[in-house]
Amino acid sequence: MTQLRFRRDLYDGKSVDAAVKAFSGVASFDLTEDDAYWTVAVTATGEHSERDIVGELANAALALTIEGRA
Amino acid sequence: MTTTLPGFPPEQAIADIGEASVRFVVASELYPLEALYGASYVFIDRCYVLLDRADDKNYSVVLTRREAEADANQLRDLVGEFANELLSCAWRHKIAQENRAIIEATTIQAISGAMGPPSLDDLAALDFSEEPFDDPLGIAVSWEDKYTKKDDAKASKKGTSK
Repeated sequence: MTQLRFRRDLYDGKSVDAAVKAFSGVASFDLTEDDAYWTVAVTATGEHSERDIVGELANAALALTIEGRA
Repeated sequence: MTTTLPGFPPEQAIADIGEASVRFVVASELYPLEALYGASYVFIDRCYVLLDRADDKNYSVVLTRREAEADANQLRDLVGEFANELLSCAWRHKIAQENRAIIEATTIQAISGAMGPPSLDDLAALDFSEEPFDDPLGIAVSWEDKYTKKDDAKASKKGTSK
C-alpha cells in the first residue's frame, strides 16, 4: 500500500475523485482527508506495479486540476 | 538513498536514487502558481509530477522518472529542464498579465471582424435614439434640427410684421 497526499489548495477535490475512479479497475483506494490534504491509500490489485499506478494517478489528478482551471 | 545533485544546493533539491525521484523547492514569490501548473503540465508526459507546499513561501515538487532506475545526472537534468520550463512559464504569465487588456481587445476585434459585416436585421435592431456621446458644442446636430427651427422662427416674425 502506498499513500499519496494531495494538497487541498493545489489540487481540485473533484479532479482527485475523477482520477481515482479512472484507476478503480487496477487498484483499490482508501480516501481520507484533513484540513490540508486529501490522502489516497493505493493498493495495486492487478498486474500493474503499484509504483506506476501511484505515479499515473498523481499525473491524472494534476492534469484534471489544471485543465479544470482553463 | 538520498543525495544532493551537482549544481543544486541541498536545501533546494534532494534526489532519491533508489526511487528515481527528485524533490526540489520552488519559491512561490518568484513563480506564480499558474507558472508551476504550466511547467508541470508539460512534464506529466515525461515523468510523474507531485506538487505540495514545503512551507508558506515555497512549493515542493517531486519528479519521479517513469523508469524505476536513474542516476544522479539523469535526475539533475530532469530538475534543470523543469526549472527552465518553469522560468519560461513564469515569464509568459507575466507578459499575459501586463498585456491582458490589449490581448482581450485584439481578440474581440478579431472575432467581431471574422463574423463579417452586420446584416440588415442587425442594422434594423440598432437603437439610434440614444445619445452616443456628449456634444457640448452642439456639433452633432442634424441639419433639419439645426435649420428648421430658425425657418419657423423667421416665418412667424414675417407674419406678425405684416
